[in-house]
Amino acid sequence: MASFRAFWNSPVGPKTTHFWGPVANWGFVAAGLADINKPPEMISGNMTGAMCIYSALFMRFAWMVQPRNYLLLACHVSNETVQLYQLSRWAKGQGYLSQKKEESTSQ
Amino acid sequence: MASSKLQALWNHPAGPKTIHFWAPTFKWGISIANVADFSKPPEKLSYPQQLAVTCTGIIWSRYSTVITPKNWNLFSVNVAMAGTGLYQLSRKIKQDYFPDAEAAVAKE
Repeated sequence: MASFRAFWNSPVGPKTTHFWGPVANWGFVAAGLADINKPPEMISGNMTGAMCIYSALFMRFAWMVQPRNYLLLACHVSNETVQLYQLSRWAKGQGYLSQKKEESTSQ
Repeated sequence: MASSKLQALWNHPAGPKTIHFWAPTFKWGISIANVADFSKPPEKLSYPQQLAVTCTGIIWSRYSTVITPKNWNLFSVNVAMAGTGLYQLSRKIKQDYFPDAEAAVAKE
């Protein structure tokens, strides 16, 4: 009970926007997971690539911002993982990762 | 003097020597990617992803005004994200729920 109260009243707790900003960003993780089994042709290389760079930068931002935001950090670590996976699925679908085959569409 | 104003910007706590500058600056990439996808057929858009872009944009517009340092670059990029997300959502909803409107336009 005491730890819940501490969380509830925390300067980065659910009564503050420092909590809900990062919660909103978990939406990207959820969206990525929802799309995990979609056929690779439906993946946007633009958007997924942008997400990968974005989450890498925001991991650092979450660490440096005042107040330090571990929830945001966790969110972007997760998003980076999901988006890199989606990016690899997209790249494979485009033929960018088939190095062993002679006939690759990227050549 | 112009050079001292530039110096002030260069040394700003949310300036180009800090992550407070580059992270939001890169976030423009998401909106740019979305604008590039304006020409994609709506069947290829993802509801979950565009919803995430829109909601993130709206909530973060508020978040960026209460963090330290206050970050207007972050504010503007999230306004843009919400805007592009809403537009993409409207394109997809129009196609999925109002297909007669599309057919009527195509006939003309």
